[in-house]
Amino acid sequence: MNQIELQCQKIKQEKRLGIMSHVVVGYPNLEETQKIVLMMARFGVDFIELQIPFSDPVGDGPVIRDANTVALAQGVKVKDAFELVKKLKQTDKIQTPLFFMTYFNIPFSYGLEKFCADSAAIGISGLIIPDYNLDMESREHFDELCRKHNLILQRFAGLDSEANRLVAQAKDAGGFIYCFSRRGITGVRPDLDPNLDDYLGKLKNIFKQPLAVGFGISSGEQIQALKGRADIAIVGSAFLKSYNEGGLSGVEDKLKELVSARDQS
Amino acid sequence: MKNFFSPNQYDADQLGYFGQFGGSFVPELLVPVLEELTKAYEEAKNDPSFIAELENLYKNYSGRPTPLYFAENLTRQLGGAKIYFKNEGLNHTGAHKINHCLGQALLAKRMGKKRLIAETGAGQHGLATATVAARFGLECVVYMGAVDVERQRPNVFWMEQLGAKVVAVEHGTKRLKDAVTAALQDLIANPNDTYYLLGSALGPHPYPSMVRDFQNIVGREVRAQHHEMENKLPDYLVACVGGGSNAIGLFNDFLNEPDVKMIAVEAGGRGVEKIGDHAARLQGQGKLGVVEGYKSYFLTDDDGQVQPTHSISAGLDYAGIGPEHARLFETGRVHYTYATDDKVLAAFKTLARTEGIFAALESSHAVAEAIRLAPTLPKDKTIVVNLSGRGDKDIFIVAEAVGDVKWKEYLKTKSG
Ligand SMILES: Cc1ncc(COP(=O)(O)O)c(C=O)c1O
Repeated sequence: MNQIELQCQKIKQEKRLGIMSHVVVGYPNLEETQKIVLMMARFGVDFIELQIPFSDPVGDGPVIRDANTVALAQGVKVKDAFELVKKLKQTDKIQTPLFFMTYFNIPFSYGLEKFCADSAAIGISGLIIPDYNLDMESREHFDELCRKHNLILQRFAGLDSEANRLVAQAKDAGGFIYCFSRRGITGVRPDLDPNLDDYLGKLKNIFKQPLAVGFGISSGEQIQALKGRADIAIVGSAFLKSYNEGGLSGVEDKLKELVSARDQS
Repeated sequence: MKNFFSPNQYDADQLGYFGQFGGSFVPELLVPVLEELTKAYEEAKNDPSFIAELENLYKNYSGRPTPLYFAENLTRQLGGAKIYFKNEGLNHTGAHKINHCLGQALLAKRMGKKRLIAETGAGQHGLATATVAARFGLECVVYMGAVDVERQRPNVFWMEQLGAKVVAVEHGTKRLKDAVTAALQDLIANPNDTYYLLGSALGPHPYPSMVRDFQNIVGREVRAQHHEMENKLPDYLVACVGGGSNAIGLFNDFLNEPDVKMIAVEAGGRGVEKIGDHAARLQGQGKLGVVEGYKSYFLTDDDGQVQPTHSISAGLDYAGIGPEHARLFETGRVHYTYATDDKVLAAFKTLARTEGIFAALESSHAVAEAIRLAPTLPKDKTIVVNLSGRGDKDIFIVAEAVGDVKWKEYLKTKSG
């Protein structure tokens, strides 16, 4: 079974909220990325997104975008992301399920099939590709290739998607469903959207898979507030922001805050 | 009604693919927005009242039809094929961009949108968008890389005079592609009241098809005008190609005419040997990729990262080419060539001296190709060149390129 599926089961059995955290590979450099990922694993986050930097990250807000730019300016290559994962898996023996997150041109330029095969071979469990939507599947067959290599290609549930589109997203979806806490792009926001409950309620009727909520999640209070409403909280920019403000110990403080909020009953 | 847009066998399929190119590679949150747009556009293009309103704006607001001008002096000097200029520079705002801005603003109004947003590099498309926003009483936000805001102060000034808000994009590389990203993100955040007015025949479906359709008027006018003057079809069509809107506008109505040859001219910059020196996607260095929502050829590295480009003309200084052009390249229907900065500047000067026309530096790429081509052809052949814009806007770049000392002094005095 795919590691993401296993972790979803575990979260369910333990009757708790899951957390997915995020790093940009090579920001501020590869050594530091490795340390951050290991720290996240040590704190017991449930999934980690390793974002391979891209020159035109359309789904990302300023904080993540700037991290992409810095990583690329350092000369970070796609092969460095693969090398990093090898180290994390083989040397550091990391157990946390890992996603590669990036934009479609990265796997496309690498070769879709080869990207899937090589990712699976080093122990990646899933891919999050925000600019690939299932309408393109009949031409690109990317989901099919992921399946062939036992990778989960992350599904999304748009805020304004019609029911039949959501049903299509639910069909054969592995792992969990990526839902949006609000309109817009990644970035830290203080409040949860007031319409969140309606939206998640609608989704619960359509998806049997766990619902993960992302975009703007940054504080222990928000984690508390998500309990009972969602199954997994996705935290992205907040970790980058903590790093920018306080380095590794900034990330450590943020992890403490979020994980203890998760584990508090 | 259909014929207004000259449908042909190169059109996109239901998913927006032109052969293997195009498509709609956008985040899930944008899918419903683009579906709504596609639906609204399909309805509008089959609605006679929409087309009548558009024709009225073309005529009475923009000043269409633009002339097809026989360049007698240049033709005589070159001693070959007859050269005609389709003078899109005589449009309101000075370039062909107004054609697809009017079409899209009319559509935005029809869809009940309150706000127009756009990306702009040098500011030409931003200016045209700000113009139609003022005309239609819509709020307007133009995203522009912070580096470009610094370089293109006059256009920023005019956009603001038209009531637009110009947002300097401070993230990423602070250039055109970052402005595109910022505009897309605005659209994701404000899908209900906002219309993203894209500036060329690229981006996710339906933009490449829609922008082409609104530019199709150029080729249709050329067909009628050329017929009247020459009683036949043109032998060659020549246009510059950045994203591809002016070129597809000239070509589209003739794609089904096998005897009409077509040449599109990319920005050769300082030469096409090295990435970073040019913006020529189809001269050997472009790679098949998916960027900014569409599949086409892009100037990227082996990893697929978009690389910097260079051109003397800001409007062609872009790493991607619209998907229909990629298809026309692949099928060989259109021949893609390039002109380097020095040839472009020479063509600019030649046209000014022989015909008294300042062509935009973008359009001067097409002029350079016509100057090369005409002497190789017999005198009974005709070449129609799309003069996509007029050159007034390029005063700073041209003055610097020709090294005009008095102009420099003038700038100093003014700033003193
Ligand atoms: C006068 C003029 N011509 C051509 C272009 C290039 O765009 P396209 O290839 O879409 O016609 C521009 C873009 O700004 C322009 O201003």
